[in-house]
Amino acid sequence: MSKPTDLVQGTLDLLILKTIALEPMHGWGIAQRIRQVSGEVLQVNQGALYPALHRLEQSGWIKAKWGESDNNRRAKYYSLTPAGRRYQEQEHANWQRLSAAIGLVLETP
Amino acid sequence: MMRWPYKISLRYRSIFRKSRVEQELSDELRFHLGSLIEENIAKGMTAEESRYAALREIGGLEQIKEECRDMRRVNYIENFIQDIRYGLRQLRRSPGFTVIAILTLALGIGANAFIFSAVNGVLLRPLPYPNSNRLAQVWSTNPHTNRWGDWVSYPDFVDWRAQNKVFEDLVAYRTWLTNITGGDHPDALFTVLASSSLFSVLQSQPLLGRSFLPDEDKPGHNRVVVLSDALWRSRFGSDPHLVGKTVVINGESYTVIGIMPPHFRFPLNPPEGLVPSAWLPVGLDPSQSDRGSHNYRVVGRLRPGVTPSQAQADMEAIARNLAQSYAADQGLGIKVAGLEENVTSEVRPALLVLLGAVGLVLLIACANVGNLLLSRAVARQREVALRLAIGANGSRIVKQMLTESVLLALIGGGVGLLLAFQGLSFLVKLAPNVPRLHESTVDSRVLIFCSFLSLATGILFGLVPAFQASRIHLNEALKQSGPSRRLGSGPRLRGMVAVAETALALMLLIGAGLLIRSFVRLSNVELGFNPRNVLTSMIMLPESRYSAPNRQAAFFKEAIRRIEALPGVESVAAADSVPLVTNDTGSVSVEGQPQPTLDGMSIQAERPKITPGYFRAMGIPLLRGRTFTWADNETSLPVAIVSDAAARLYWPNEDPIGKRVSESDESEGRIVWRQVIGVVGDVRQDGLADKVRPSVYTPLSQLPMPFAALIVMSRMDPQSLADPVRRQVMAVDKDQPLFSIQTMQEVVDDSVSNRAFQTVLLSLFAAVAMTLATIGIYGVMSHSAAQRTREIGIRMALGAQKRDTLKLVVSQGMFLALLGVSIGVIGALALTRFMSSLLYGVKPTDPMTFIGVSLVLAAVSLVASYVPARRATKVDPMVALRHE
Repeated sequence: MSKPTDLVQGTLDLLILKTIALEPMHGWGIAQRIRQVSGEVLQVNQGALYPALHRLEQSGWIKAKWGESDNNRRAKYYSLTPAGRRYQEQEHANWQRLSAAIGLVLETP
Repeated sequence: MMRWPYKISLRYRSIFRKSRVEQELSDELRFHLGSLIEENIAKGMTAEESRYAALREIGGLEQIKEECRDMRRVNYIENFIQDIRYGLRQLRRSPGFTVIAILTLALGIGANAFIFSAVNGVLLRPLPYPNSNRLAQVWSTNPHTNRWGDWVSYPDFVDWRAQNKVFEDLVAYRTWLTNITGGDHPDALFTVLASSSLFSVLQSQPLLGRSFLPDEDKPGHNRVVVLSDALWRSRFGSDPHLVGKTVVINGESYTVIGIMPPHFRFPLNPPEGLVPSAWLPVGLDPSQSDRGSHNYRVVGRLRPGVTPSQAQADMEAIARNLAQSYAADQGLGIKVAGLEENVTSEVRPALLVLLGAVGLVLLIACANVGNLLLSRAVARQREVALRLAIGANGSRIVKQMLTESVLLALIGGGVGLLLAFQGLSFLVKLAPNVPRLHESTVDSRVLIFCSFLSLATGILFGLVPAFQASRIHLNEALKQSGPSRRLGSGPRLRGMVAVAETALALMLLIGAGLLIRSFVRLSNVELGFNPRNVLTSMIMLPESRYSAPNRQAAFFKEAIRRIEALPGVESVAAADSVPLVTNDTGSVSVEGQPQPTLDGMSIQAERPKITPGYFRAMGIPLLRGRTFTWADNETSLPVAIVSDAAARLYWPNEDPIGKRVSESDESEGRIVWRQVIGVVGDVRQDGLADKVRPSVYTPLSQLPMPFAALIVMSRMDPQSLADPVRRQVMAVDKDQPLFSIQTMQEVVDDSVSNRAFQTVLLSLFAAVAMTLATIGIYGVMSHSAAQRTREIGIRMALGAQKRDTLKLVVSQGMFLALLGVSIGVIGALALTRFMSSLLYGVKPTDPMTFIGVSLVLAAVSLVASYVPARRATKVDPMVALRHE
């Protein structure tokens, strides 16, 4: 398996927050969703995913709850805390500004 | 919305629901793994294939877990607890190492805690008076005796007090040994006579009653006394109505006006460590007192914002004026210094040198334990490699190793503190004359110092081995069956440690050597008298009943007659001066000559007043002429005996017999000329390390005194005479207590006790240092020889002689030792000058000491490297070749 595109830490955090903004998800689900939505470009390594999830949880941005998965197995579901929701919006805005700025620099002939 | 409620509940879970949290982590990752496997199966792999693929993809499951744990933020607490548990287990597993390391550290840290408690008690704690930083000692200086604490004359004090602008007030005081009678038994009483400003300068007030009124130091108003809490309790049973009652001191009635609080002490460094128990106003008319008699000490309270050096300038101007106005003040200077500094000035250098010494001991101890840890690190290489392999990272290993070493240091520190506690009481016994030492305890400051020191020590000796351990090469370490032969820069590092240890130990040994040589010099000083079998005691006749001089003389004559009749007694005398105990120093006059001077300053002489048996009792040789007899009395020709030094000074190349001198200063008015009838040997009156002063002896019966020491020389243990002598004195007058009873040998020993204390302690520390350093060198050499077993085997197999091999290993050890000695000599040259004030008759760079100590240390190092070298050569070459 090829090494996934390296994701800077902040980026992975933002992707996770965005992914679980709609509905609670377990780690596996988050990784799958990011892969699918990015068109198989972003492969989240579990070695980075779980520490990131735990870090976000410990920071109080997301909270976890055990639930049943689709195939009736116990899984840990993550969802945003209210503070996490605001944080995600703020980070999202930051990202858009940054990528727009980078885009401008790169596209200016 | 706040985030902290989540955080707190999570941290709580992480610490107290640890197994649950761990279980959840495993479950979560297992779920992930399960999902991965399912996906793979869905792609068409077999169950087994998909499982392997999933495991491969997920990578190090344990590393992920560890990283997740790190995210919990409480991991460091957990790790720390885990490290402590693990560390303790490790220490228990190798008890030999643990015991040696802890003992070494206990010695090092204990020695530091011990000396630091003394430094803390003596130098660091503020003096027990309010705003004590504004208290200063003021004294007259005389270029000849330019040293701390020369005495002040009362008229000078009165002028200082009136003329200065820098002190709020000044107090003059002197100590006075007297007795208190009334009640069933007389007691000797150690008192302080002071100007009435005493308590206001110290800003200390009695607990009961009042302090002195301003006029109470004038003659006729001074029959008041302030008692110490201890005296109030012991002699007056804490009588709450004692204030206002009268007590009999020195045969006269004094009204008790106040009782001081229990902790009050003044002065802080009284002579012979006596504790004053009563304070009386002087009752002196300054216009009647002798400006040439320097009998007082002066303490002043500086005005706020005035420093001692500013006060110095103001007081110097006053001293210049006085010198112009009065002949007796000619050439006298003045000195102002903080009281704190003054109280401890004599012991400060010694304590600081000792503090430096124990610092060096601790460094050596650190080096030794560090060395032990390095050896252990080699043995533990595989363990560390394994830990690295299963998910620990480098910093984790360093932390764990450091936890172990800090743990060692803390246990060592605890044991050391116990040692310090024991040592302190030993120290107080050893050095009874160090001011404030007996108040030193292991207080919170010492505890904090000790904890900090232990922590720092643990990190200091643990850091290098810990980093060494974390930097091992995984593959190699795991592959090897035995401990690796090479460990980074280990051997060179250990060599450096051995060199440093040798250098440090050498510095300490040289310091101790210099002190020992000083002490030997001092012990061999000609005392000028023979302390053997001599008992001294003091007596103070109350002026009320012994005002007439002939009554005083008669009392001593009768007491001497009675004591001489005791069995075993050889010779008995009374004198107002006892060498090394009390003396009367002042100007003398020589007929037909100006005041004997040196560099324009009048030379101070000793002026003992003695009874006929004095020279015999003290074993002072008569060189020419005759001694006094009882026939030399008030009505006969005034006579004097001079010391050899006086004879040579006053009448160089002349016969002093028949010349005339006076024990007082000609310029002070009426004097009595005395004919010199004999010359006696010189005596050290002041201290063994002080210069011999000229002495002029006069007969006590011609100049009677109410105060005298009784000197009893016998054929037996003088201590056994104490009671019989006391009984004979009581038989003459039942109200006369004898006090300060001690043998002359005790007096001599006491006079050098502070030096003995420095010497014994520094020697002790130096011995510890040398032992530790020797162990260190031995350890390094054994290790190095063991590592070279194979090389040695090859050499021997190729025909090298045992001698050559021996030389090879020993020369390596000696190279390290000599390097250490050279560095140590340079260090000692730089450091020993700080101890010059502790030395007597020896230069700080004394070549004998430097060479001698270097040779000793080199010899010890030779042995320490010879033993392992010999062991290495005994190895069978075949075994050596197969080694590893």
